[in-house]
Amino acid sequence: MRGVVARKFRIILTVFAIVSGVAFVSGAFMLTDSVKTAINSLFEELRGDIALEVRTPIAFGDEARAERDTVPAALVSGIAAVPGVSSVELNIERESTIVKPNGKPLKTSGPAFGISWLGQNGLDGRTILAGREARGPNEVAIDRVSAKRAGYVLGDTVTLVGPTGKQEFKLVGLTGTGKTSGGGGASICAFDPVTADAFLGAKGFADSIYVGLEKGASRSTVQKEIATLLTNKYEVIPGEQSAKEIAGAINDIIDIFGKLLLGFAAISLFVSAFLIFNTFAIIISQRLRELALLRAIGASSSQIRLMILGEALIIGIVATGFGILGGIGVSKGITALFNATGAAFPPATIAISMRTIIVALVVGIGVTVTAAMVPALRASKIPPVAAMRPEIGFTALQHSKRLVAGVVTLLVGITLLCLGLFIQPGGAIGILGASGLGAVLLFLGVASLSTSFAAPASAAISRILPFPLRPMTRSVAGRLASRNAQRTPRRTATTASALMIGLAMVSTVAVIAASVQKSFKDRLQGSVTADYYVTSDGFQGLPPVFAEKLAALSELGKVSPFRASTAQVNGESKQIGAVNVDMFSIVNVKLTSGSYASLAKGQILVHRDPARDLSLSVGSSVAITWQNGTSSNLTVGGIYDDSAVAGNWLVSLDVLSQASTAPPVDFFIGAKIADGVDIEEARIAVEIVAEEFPSAQVQDQAEFQKSQEDQLNQLLIIVYCLLVFAIGIAVLGIANTMALSVYERTREFGLLRAVGMSKRHLKRSVRWEAIIVSVFGASLGITVGVPLGIAVSIALPESFVTGISIPINTIVAVLLASIVVGIIAAIGPARRAAKLDVLEAISAI
Amino acid sequence: MTSTTPTLVAAAAALNASKIYGKDDSEVRALDDVTVDFAEGQFTAIMGPSGSGKSTLMHCLAGLDTLTLGKVFIDGTDLSGLNDRELTVLRREQVGFIFQAYNLIPTLTALENITLPLDLGGVDIDEAWLNEVVSAVKLESRLTHRPSELSGGQQQRVAVARALASRPKIIFADEPTGNLDSRSGAEILSFMRHAVNDLGQTIVMVTHDPVAAAYADRVVFLADGKVVDEVTSPTSEQVLDRMKKLGS
Repeated sequence: MRGVVARKFRIILTVFAIVSGVAFVSGAFMLTDSVKTAINSLFEELRGDIALEVRTPIAFGDEARAERDTVPAALVSGIAAVPGVSSVELNIERESTIVKPNGKPLKTSGPAFGISWLGQNGLDGRTILAGREARGPNEVAIDRVSAKRAGYVLGDTVTLVGPTGKQEFKLVGLTGTGKTSGGGGASICAFDPVTADAFLGAKGFADSIYVGLEKGASRSTVQKEIATLLTNKYEVIPGEQSAKEIAGAINDIIDIFGKLLLGFAAISLFVSAFLIFNTFAIIISQRLRELALLRAIGASSSQIRLMILGEALIIGIVATGFGILGGIGVSKGITALFNATGAAFPPATIAISMRTIIVALVVGIGVTVTAAMVPALRASKIPPVAAMRPEIGFTALQHSKRLVAGVVTLLVGITLLCLGLFIQPGGAIGILGASGLGAVLLFLGVASLSTSFAAPASAAISRILPFPLRPMTRSVAGRLASRNAQRTPRRTATTASALMIGLAMVSTVAVIAASVQKSFKDRLQGSVTADYYVTSDGFQGLPPVFAEKLAALSELGKVSPFRASTAQVNGESKQIGAVNVDMFSIVNVKLTSGSYASLAKGQILVHRDPARDLSLSVGSSVAITWQNGTSSNLTVGGIYDDSAVAGNWLVSLDVLSQASTAPPVDFFIGAKIADGVDIEEARIAVEIVAEEFPSAQVQDQAEFQKSQEDQLNQLLIIVYCLLVFAIGIAVLGIANTMALSVYERTREFGLLRAVGMSKRHLKRSVRWEAIIVSVFGASLGITVGVPLGIAVSIALPESFVTGISIPINTIVAVLLASIVVGIIAAIGPARRAAKLDVLEAISAI
Repeated sequence: MTSTTPTLVAAAAALNASKIYGKDDSEVRALDDVTVDFAEGQFTAIMGPSGSGKSTLMHCLAGLDTLTLGKVFIDGTDLSGLNDRELTVLRREQVGFIFQAYNLIPTLTALENITLPLDLGGVDIDEAWLNEVVSAVKLESRLTHRPSELSGGQQQRVAVARALASRPKIIFADEPTGNLDSRSGAEILSFMRHAVNDLGQTIVMVTHDPVAAAYADRVVFLADGKVVDEVTSPTSEQVLDRMKKLGS
């Protein structure tokens, strides 16, 4: 009876492990499917009655994210005169940050837009939820979600910051988009067209022009008609096309997020596989006699094998079913999480597509059955005679070519990993594929080999722990814990391996992060000498007027913005940075040849790497095609060998503005204090200017460095949180193994209690065994993870990592955490061991 | 029937001890008002047919099980007043056990198994005594072996040595020869006899084997939870004779 209960408990744990993996997989699909559907329909609604759109074409690149030149508003009258056109609207969309009543900018999870809007009767799909649309120079309508988050109600005076500066408006309307009351994470401030033109600094230009049609007019005829009016600088496209492009771009982001989720699902499934493997191995050794008896009365070995696989199949099906249900929870939970931060996802019914279910089934059942394969094979090799003499069955199970297989797997894994990281065949897919598969094989190889040294390693760990106190082996409880961990090395190894994977990932990430951080810091310290950096915490950078105002301050000596644009160089898309010559006094850009002054002459400065690749030298000419199709032939004015802040290509601000009329945005501004000015005084002057731009963050060198590090740390925390899930499954695995150990050693525990071991010592013994297993797992994880992290860091391009740094603190923390993991995993089993009735235990078979 | 009033000088004693399972109609009295004592330095065998309550009596005397009514004493200590922790210490320090199925810890060596109760108590080991015990059971050459590397007889000798090692007030042996062939069994019994004669140990042994019982100074017979008879300095024929009477 106890056996059945123990087995049930173990199966529940196993099922849970599969459920969580499958939930992540199916949740990722459901989330991306339903959000994509919702986003697509949102943009379709947003399109409203826009039949045609006039905009400037781009020469190359991503339609949705392109920086387009503007369209002159003067085109409107010509288009309006085309027969069949009912209305024409200017589309102006620029940055407009809402300032909260407390003076702080409203943080949004998307961009902060100011737009030109005619109201509900206009062409787009925006609706009025309360009040009315903005009319006149002092009125604004804001999307309801953002107004509420900022704390404004109708009639309030709202401060907004746009490209021309700060201005106050009266809030006259609350808007919605389609069925939602927000902007899908963006904040939307809607003005009438005249106000929009002035406040958003459009100066008679629009991002594009919307065209509505009269009833019965043929769209293609009107489209052709408008096209004849336009020079080849402009294009006229169907209204839904740009909606699709934008929706597609958002879908891409959602896909990336989905893939991230799938990545973690893969890790947790991989860990689950170990747990499943262990559970089946355990169940089989418990049923050894029963299985041998079946063999003795005539069951063939393949029947035994199929029986075990059948059980795995049933567990897999049940778990996958729960997993799909769990996926709904995962996807709803994540949506809720995003909405809580103001994303205002459109209300979406969870889309469960056939593909989701099929993938979930294949993954859930596949992992379960695959993991049960080896135990099933072993079960089928139990000789019938083991029914009478169980000890023979166990020796039959010990035979394996584990060592050879382990070494081969390990070597193949390392080879593939190195191939993927350093030779990098076939681009991103090759790198990820080869190194991913290599990592999996590496883990399997280590897991397999760890069986061989689980016993000596456990002995060593118990001799050291709990350093610096009395080592475990000096007490009976500790000695028993140590011997028990060594007693079943295979089980100890498999259990520890599950933990190894999660902790290996953690240490890999930690090494990479530390290396990136260190390289970044080194480079920043070496190359950046600015006194102030101004960055934006919004999505759209800083309006150029800010840099102009800073430059006008007498307290500052040198000021330069950094702007960037996309262009094609030699047929490849590159980011081109634009600065003024002052930047070179602020940022150390070390020239190996040429001069800084050449930049002012309209020449281009090139980093040594691309210069070498394209065999460029000072005086050679580079053909650059900007996104709007303009081509410029630029002369190389200098070659530099550091690209920490500057990127690979640098031109002057003039070159960029001549090439493109897309609204300019500054990524950051660097400034140096004028000679003789007090640092405090300068700071105050800068802060006064910055007050008008709430999304601007003024930082001195130390603050800038810290904020860059904080950003990296935030990213790390997210990654660690997801890995904690995988570690959680491993904890289940340890608890599972310990529960089994307690069950198997019932009689021993009975005897120990009979001859005078206290409950406390018995619990301690169980706890210490769990700690030995988890410290073993953590040591394996660190041994695998740190070199892996170093390898990845070396493989990363030099612009990311220049030196390797090993985060000793994190590694020590991981080891200490593993002790905690052991203690947690042992809580249940230890309690059960202590609860055993001495007499019953001692007479247990 | 020769039931005496237990004296506090006895190594172990039961006073009006009853152990009752179930209630009302389904009530089973495993022990029914048993009063018996075991004098120090004596080897006592408890005999009786299956279900007579002999194992229950021993378990209750050893502090492994609790009585429904009555009291048991070890060296004058009333066990009914002790909690789990105190009972654990009592078992560790005052009581030794020898089980039918050896019950050694498989991960510990023979020596570690022998010193287990001492190690658990954190007591310093009296090397001279340990050597005497080990040589008494002739295990000198087997001390570093694990139980799986020992024969059944050797394992039971380890168990005997373990019981002796902590110099307990009393040793309880539950069918110690039940799993052994007659030669190994005789060896174990003579070790136990030797422990009583030469080392002054007190032993209480539950057995159903008249030959084993003949090694004892005194045999107490139980039937249906009651003490029904007693023989001092028994021979195996005497014991067999009494058993036959009980069975009929």
